Amino acid sequence: MQPVLEQTSLLEQFTNSAKAAVATVEIIDRSPAALRGAILGAAGNANRILYAPPHDLPAALFSEFATDPRVVSGATADQMVNSAAGVTEAFAAVASTGSVCINVSHERTGMVSLLAPLQIAVVAAETIVPQPRDLFRADVLGGKGLSRDFVFVTGPSATADMGPLVRGVHGPHKLHIIVLR
Amino acid sequence: MGTSVNPADITPRQVANKSDKKALRDAIRMTLGVQSAAIRHNTQTFNRNRYAAISRLPDYDQLKDRARQIKENAIANLPWLLQQLEASVRANGGNFHLAKTAADANTYIRDVLTRHNVKLVVKGKSITSEETKLNHALEAVGIKVAESDLAEFILQVADEQPSHIVAPALHYSRERITALFKRKFTTDLPLDTGEELTKFAREILRQQFIAADAGISGANLIAADSGSLMLVESEGNIRMTTTLPPVHIAIAGIEKVVPSRTDFGTFIELLPRSGTGQPLTSYVSILHPPLKAPVFAAPGKEPAKEREFHMVLIDNGRSRMREDPVLHEALYCIRCSACLNSCANFETVGGHAFGGETYSGGIGGSWEAGTGQLSNARFSDLCTACSRCVPNCPVRIDIPWLNENLRQRLNQAQGSSPVKFMFGEMTGSAPEDSAAPLQKQFFGNYDAFGRWGARAASLANASLHLPGARAVMESVFGVDRRRALPAFATKTWEELYRDEKDVKPGGIHPGVVMLADVFTNYGAPERGMAAIRVLRAVGVDVVLSPAMPDGRAAMSQGMIETARRQALALAPVLRRYLDAGRKIVVLEPSVLAMLRRDFKHLLDGDDTQALLAQNSYEPLEFLWKVAQEQRLDLAQIFPASRCPNGTRLFYHSHCQQRTCNAASQTIEVLRAAGFDVVTSSVECCGMAGSFGYKREYYELSMAVGEDLFAQVREAEPEGGPRTLVASGISCHEQLVAGMGREVFHPAELLASTVG
Repeated sequence: MQPVLEQTSLLEQFTNSAKAAVATVEIIDRSPAALRGAILGAAGNANRILYAPPHDLPAALFSEFATDPRVVSGATADQMVNSAAGVTEAFAAVASTGSVCINVSHERTGMVSLLAPLQIAVVAAETIVPQPRDLFRADVLGGKGLSRDFVFVTGPSATADMGPLVRGVHGPHKLHIIVLR
Repeated sequence: MGTSVNPADITPRQVANKSDKKALRDAIRMTLGVQSAAIRHNTQTFNRNRYAAISRLPDYDQLKDRARQIKENAIANLPWLLQQLEASVRANGGNFHLAKTAADANTYIRDVLTRHNVKLVVKGKSITSEETKLNHALEAVGIKVAESDLAEFILQVADEQPSHIVAPALHYSRERITALFKRKFTTDLPLDTGEELTKFAREILRQQFIAADAGISGANLIAADSGSLMLVESEGNIRMTTTLPPVHIAIAGIEKVVPSRTDFGTFIELLPRSGTGQPLTSYVSILHPPLKAPVFAAPGKEPAKEREFHMVLIDNGRSRMREDPVLHEALYCIRCSACLNSCANFETVGGHAFGGETYSGGIGGSWEAGTGQLSNARFSDLCTACSRCVPNCPVRIDIPWLNENLRQRLNQAQGSSPVKFMFGEMTGSAPEDSAAPLQKQFFGNYDAFGRWGARAASLANASLHLPGARAVMESVFGVDRRRALPAFATKTWEELYRDEKDVKPGGIHPGVVMLADVFTNYGAPERGMAAIRVLRAVGVDVVLSPAMPDGRAAMSQGMIETARRQALALAPVLRRYLDAGRKIVVLEPSVLAMLRRDFKHLLDGDDTQALLAQNSYEPLEFLWKVAQEQRLDLAQIFPASRCPNGTRLFYHSHCQQRTCNAASQTIEVLRAAGFDVVTSSVECCGMAGSFGYKREYYELSMAVGEDLFAQVREAEPEGGPRTLVASGISCHEQLVAGMGREVFHPAELLASTVG
């Protein structure tokens, strides 16, 4: 584990980088109530909230959030492509780029983090690593970055192919990151 | 030029294959006429962002060394890595196919899709599939292909080839996309913003992602140890392609294979930064398919079957490239586009002129030749060897060297003729280079013309003004008649140097030898004398070498054997000065670059090349070094206030000077002397030695120069004009042509302040 001081500055660096990549970042206490409040706050008046239960974080953390009637964890295909928000965990984050790392082989985490216009990612502060290259080290986060199928997500989807820079293309139009203290 | 075709009437497809010379000429006209503004804006934005991004990467150089090492090892061990990869992919539960040819790859993919009864396949961006012309092969059997990358979508709608390896439609402005979509789709939407165009395309493609039975992606890198792919994108289409459909096919060239997934750690830091200048793009997927996640079933469709994955690697000439002593280096390319975006010619015309059917830019010629015919690489003539790509390549490929070799091969493929041979004999071509066209031998043997011109300067200069002289030069040697030709000096640098009287030996050690490069010796000896005076003013002991050609002119024409002869003759002469304890100072930056960089290809054997590289300096670079070591007060020795041309300067350093890290010292010296210096930020002035003199490239050269001229105008609104200063002789000529004013070498300004 990283020393506490260093971890604090990683969190600060992560927050700045993620904002530079046009994501929004919120740092909250690690409790089911705080998480429920943060997710529902970010989701606003979303018609439906897709939810992929976590693999690394304790599912209990999400228990209060999951009781909201708009939350769907076993979405039908139709619901999958017609929901306003998608919530997943991220098993790591990167300080230098503001990226979150999403495991796309775990259940429907990949689709839930991709298909809705608003992507909400929940990540534990102690899983922030300094640089992207750290995900390719066996001694970082138990080597998860070397064994998993995952995506570095840095900000919302974007394109400059149509002339000016446009945010929101095939993937999410907005990325909200919730960091658990 | 002859042709009077309206540039707007030339279509990109018509000029994709440049084995015919006319296609290259037409393509330049088309791109300058229609595409140039969008290309400049987009490539120059990437280029600026890249410089900013790498400046924030403290271990950039170490990462590049590491990346180079990984690729060298990977290509050397490729046959073994491919075996290992096949085993890894199969162990993951995927299928593996190694295709010898493009047709073989297309057949395999077609058969997989047919077996699954696929009617619609959605594709992420894959330039390799452009190389194999996969879409045609699939459409021929009734499979609909939906290009999902928005740039590829535009190209599919327009039926055009890519113009850039990372942003394949960057030659399209927003306005032209609107016009294209209005022409090709029936819609009442205005489509007159980037957002509307994106929304329009997204809605079409969203339906196709959901309905598609299979997805085809490329791969940026592939790890042999685990069968992992690295996929870099920003739109989310590659995620869709690899996540939603039950069948995923990845197509890539065999050169994408690296030994280990741990190697991705090096490339993930370099690739996005070197391309678009982003620390990371929106999505970088690291997958070893098939994914374990459940398959997405479209609403109303059969529930999902198992996921299926096929890795299709294509050879298509790459094994031959691997055996090629020069072209094998192109296999290290990670397709980041830094060489395109840092190239002044590419920034001005893009890949539809500076490119072929698939690949473009400095690296593109090697790829077109390697995966197709040598003659397809003719567009690599647009590489002027300015070398700005060299320090920006994350795997340190010497791209100008590749292009000089392609030029040599293209010259040789033409065959010699008695006229060419005789001309070569008279002017000094090596016999191996006598097949080069007269134009190339004319420019490549500048030394011979310099000697003749200097022997009878007044006659030579007058003869250029004879009626019809320029028409003859244009038709025989392809020298554009709109270009002013530099006059031959009545006295050479060597003669002026010998005429100097009462020179006191300098007290500062080591002393230097100035190389009497042929360009300065015959064309601008007064600049050479100014440099000598400036170095002597601070107490450096200066002698001048005999005037000798250095190989630059010949190299630039692909006359490599001629260049080698010249390098082999010059090197021992310079070596003797080194052995006598002197350092070497070279005025003309393109010649300095020969000593520092290019001689490594021409000299072999002893340590002379390394010694020349380590002990050669640009004059003001040497002056700055001396000033630092001796703690000289340059403001006192060269008081700018005494300069008759004023203290306000606009300075343009030479492209090769910047690559040699020998430009910033000039700015330091001028500022220390008290000058107010504004600098250019263009990669190259566009003249690039002989390039801008050539009839077929005059317009392009001036179009490139326009960026520089605009920067001069921008620097001058308040306080009146600035004195123009350039270190390179061809930049000097280009600035004179564009601004119609006198241009000085920095040493001339400094010399003017000394009594």
